Amino acid sequence: MVAIDIQKQSTHHYVHSKTHQWTTKLMPGEFYVTDKEELLITVLGSCVSACIYDVKGNLGGMNHFMLPHSSNGQWAGDSLATRYGNYAMEHMINELLKKGALKENLRAKIFGGGNINSHMRDDVSQSNIAFVKEYLLIEKIPVLLEDLGGDYSRKVYFTPYNGETSVKYIKQPSETVIKREERYESELKEDEINYDVELF
Amino acid sequence: MAKKILTVDDSASIRQMVSFTLKQAGYDVVEAIDGVQGLSKAKSEAPHLIITDLNMPNMNGIEMIKGIRQVADHKFTPILMLTTESDTTKKMEGKEAGATGWIVKPFNPEQLIKVIQKVMPA
Repeated sequence: MVAIDIQKQSTHHYVHSKTHQWTTKLMPGEFYVTDKEELLITVLGSCVSACIYDVKGNLGGMNHFMLPHSSNGQWAGDSLATRYGNYAMEHMINELLKKGALKENLRAKIFGGGNINSHMRDDVSQSNIAFVKEYLLIEKIPVLLEDLGGDYSRKVYFTPYNGETSVKYIKQPSETVIKREERYESELKEDEINYDVELF
Repeated sequence: MAKKILTVDDSASIRQMVSFTLKQAGYDVVEAIDGVQGLSKAKSEAPHLIITDLNMPNMNGIEMIKGIRQVADHKFTPILMLTTESDTTKKMEGKEAGATGWIVKPFNPEQLIKVIQKVMPA
């Protein structure tokens, strides 16, 4: 039984029309880890994304997440937010370690937390930013690049095998991007997160 | 006297979070950063219950459980896996190694305490 349907591996693969590279696109709430020469793309509004790669191993991964609110629309207690954020980061890092990455070789580049949506308070973005920085600090994963905040959304390109990233800034994000993020936000309510326990 | 719980995880953030939850509930907590340290602290600290991650450097959770079950004092100590892994094959490996239960992250603190109370009555 798999109860958790948040933070799943991305399955949106295609060949990029301009660069002809094999490309995987990440939607909010997804992550993806690869040791192939492929391009990862995601569009971030107030969400954040950590691009983490092994500097010696030609592999890496990307995630796309935000911290949850409780169902009454208020910020969930620190505890829920932190647990979910930890999970979003750790799930990806564990998949990297399973593929052979070494923790001491991991480096991070972090993006997002833009304030794009007038109805979303700025503290949504700020909490996401604060969390991802704090997490990497505690886990002692060096951050080589951070591109955070501002009042625009970002399209992030990442090639895990060499750790290269580039960003396109979008002043006016499309309706689709905003809708997608809002849908993800509403799915993150605590009562929707299922927990899976099995006693043998 | 408060019961002592050993928590084993290579992630500093998870150790912090689990320890906080357990201390809030009144347990004494000992931490270990991988299976090797976990096994040695299981012997030296005589915990009443052990919570462990699966994927860790040096020695993973399943190898550690096998080692702990060799120790006479820990034949029946409850051992809970707390992991991002929900794969059935892995769960079976854990069960065969001697795990008492399997909790998939992200965990809910209240639920974690309930499970602990269930497998380790006061």
